[in-house]
Amino acid sequence: MDEKTRTRIGGPEDPREGLEAVVALRRTLEALEAAQVENAFVAGWSWAQIAEVLGVSKQAVHKKHAKRIKNRYPGEPPRRKGKGE
Amino acid sequence: MIFNRFARETRRCVEAAVEEARALGHDSVGEEDLLLGIVRADEGVAAEALSSLGVTLEGARDESEGMLSDALSSVGISLEEVRREAGDALDMTIPDERRIPFSPRAKKVLERALREAVGLRDNYIGTEHVLLGILRNEDGTAVRMLARLGVSPEMLEGRLFELRGRVAD
Repeated sequence: MDEKTRTRIGGPEDPREGLEAVVALRRTLEALEAAQVENAFVAGWSWAQIAEVLGVSKQAVHKKHAKRIKNRYPGEPPRRKGKGE
Repeated sequence: MIFNRFARETRRCVEAAVEEARALGHDSVGEEDLLLGIVRADEGVAAEALSSLGVTLEGARDESEGMLSDALSSVGISLEEVRREAGDALDMTIPDERRIPFSPRAKKVLERALREAVGLRDNYIGTEHVLLGILRNEDGTAVRMLARLGVSPEMLEGRLFELRGRVAD
């Protein structure tokens, strides 16, 4: 029973190791999200388009990423892909 | 507030810890960041003890990344591959505008530093007290990081008191 449960959940057997894996994943996920949002922005995607794919609101994406990305690309908003393009 | 009793070197070490945490993508300042902060600020008896045992900032950062990498591989993910796939854009750094808190364990270390100072009848909280606070949590991330660098709590504590004795003379 225990064996079965463990197999189903998978991953490390030591709970601390398992929890630390979650922390490591979260850090990696945050870095990946930042990188991919930045890529999309540089490719000319609008916040609305980025948000749609991420499955969150435009406000949420903007709040989390806009400041960092605008600091990195000051005064050069990339050409936006309008809806008609 | 406890920060008022910090020696100047301790404040610098705490500031450096926050910077290290940011650079490594830690969304809170943990024990290992306090350790990195001591090494980075490079002031006081604690930094001297660490460097005399061969602990460098580069080496400590590498071990921090090594621990991240090991944690990821325990659930089947290769940090190396993630980096290769994501390319140069993958940056763990936490941006300046995002504030990061001290982790509960890091707070405990700073509280313990105060107790260590009181116990040693020192009228300041120096980096050595912070380091002793770090060493008291034997299964903490900082102690494990030190173990990866070949440094045991006993060795470090011994060296710390050796150096303190020398300074007091």
